[in-house]
Amino acid sequence: MTDAPAPAGARPSGTAARLFGQLAKLLSYLYAVIGVIAVWWAVVLIAKPHMSLLPSPLLTARTFVQLMASGELPSDAAYSICRVLAAWSLAALVAVPLGFAMGRWQRLERVLDPVVELFRPISPLAWIPLAILWFGIDEGGKIFVIFIGTFFPILLNTIAGAKTIDPVLIRAGRILGCADDASLFRKVVLPAALPQVIVGLRISFGTGWAAIIAAELVAARSGLGYLISNGMEVLRSDYVLVGMVTIGVIGVLFDTVFRIIDRRYNWMGE
Amino acid sequence: MNIIAPNAGKPLSLRGLSKHYATADGLVIEALKPIDLDIASGEFLVVVGPSGCGKSTLLNILAGLTPSSAGEARVGNILVQGPDIDRGMVFQDYALFPWLDVISNVEFGLERKGVPRRERRTIAMRYLEMVGLTDFAEKRPRELSGGMKQRVAIARTFATEPSIIFMDEPFGALDALTRRYLQHELLRIWQQHRKTVVFITHSVVEAIYLADRIVLMTARPGRIKSMIRIELPHPRDPISDEFRVIERQVYADLDEELAKSFRMEGRAPPPRR
Repeated sequence: MTDAPAPAGARPSGTAARLFGQLAKLLSYLYAVIGVIAVWWAVVLIAKPHMSLLPSPLLTARTFVQLMASGELPSDAAYSICRVLAAWSLAALVAVPLGFAMGRWQRLERVLDPVVELFRPISPLAWIPLAILWFGIDEGGKIFVIFIGTFFPILLNTIAGAKTIDPVLIRAGRILGCADDASLFRKVVLPAALPQVIVGLRISFGTGWAAIIAAELVAARSGLGYLISNGMEVLRSDYVLVGMVTIGVIGVLFDTVFRIIDRRYNWMGE
Repeated sequence: MNIIAPNAGKPLSLRGLSKHYATADGLVIEALKPIDLDIASGEFLVVVGPSGCGKSTLLNILAGLTPSSAGEARVGNILVQGPDIDRGMVFQDYALFPWLDVISNVEFGLERKGVPRRERRTIAMRYLEMVGLTDFAEKRPRELSGGMKQRVAIARTFATEPSIIFMDEPFGALDALTRRYLQHELLRIWQQHRKTVVFITHSVVEAIYLADRIVLMTARPGRIKSMIRIELPHPRDPISDEFRVIERQVYADLDEELAKSFRMEGRAPPPRR
């Protein structure tokens, strides 16, 4: 027989290898953290900047513990996360169905594509002034800005995913009993496009997370962006640094969650 | 040895079936001239013709994926009006669903037919056994070689027990050795199940090896040029004299059409994607 690789699964060693890979990745994060702290500390020791400009890592760590204990940091982080989650889910709710519609119906895409192309290059941050004028500094304004920022990556990736489905899979689905569009969508179109949709959701969460900080810098009384801008106003750079580190860590955590989801549902290969 | 209850194939009849397209610049291109053809129940019919002769168009019409411009096709006494799970199809590029494992691919059509889960799995396993791939049930299609993918696709098609199976150059993308092996396998399965098969190929040897009857099509516009019934018993030996005689006969007819289609290439509108 010309085509028979060994059927026996190499599963146990595969799991071990994957675990090892994840460990190695964790280690590389650890190196990065140690490196950054070392440089930071060296700068503090050599240049001796004023505490309000660059506090030492130790002092920053102490501030971190303080802010955690007072509940200020968890509450600010929770505000930021909730705003992004709310806006991002809203954006997904609109962009995913719209993306599928535009990806599968050329006529709709032809009509809407110029509109999308016109709005897409406008940074979500450029919407902040309008958002403040329209919504004040209420939640509505920030949700609006994040909605804009997360909407396009989801939409464009969903369109790409829905459009690039191999036509032979559609034909196979119809031949194998997906008689109507609804069942064809559920059994073929959706699973075929899903990896690309997840990519869009992941990327947009990243852009949303970056945009919320900017929006909170300008117009908020809570959230990590507010913690940072407030720290600047009262000359507490340790607040600023704690805020920045928290932003980074939460960003990495969410990205990791998305990567796990991605690996679970991505049939396109390891 | 085999416990699959064969649900015999149904006859297929074509009456005045034709197809033309209108191009973007308003030209009408005749792809298929009206075709009349009767295919018996359980017959293995192979269609051979120069590329661009409309073989694939014909198959897509019969499968209900493309509407015809005129005429009709009937499977048994049911008019072809759209795809139906009673008519199976095997594609050249396998068309396995990459997000499903092998067994779920085989189960796909069964699920659409409403077969309960447990029964589905049993049936799918039986058809995987038929193509010798039970060990690969949990693998993803991308982990399989081309020949194995096509065997899964064959299992998936036979599993729904269709009355007729269309095969669109199913072995065209495979290497010569795998191809030979799968031709042999296909014949074995077909002899067990006695489905009606309409098979498209470029390969004259493949056609003679497999067919009860060969239909030769002309260059565009496609129509039936000649039909050759092959009475040789299976398994056929491609280097036997009888085989060679038929081969020569088919090539004689085909060469004429090939020359015509090459001459046409200079004048014909550029091929459209």
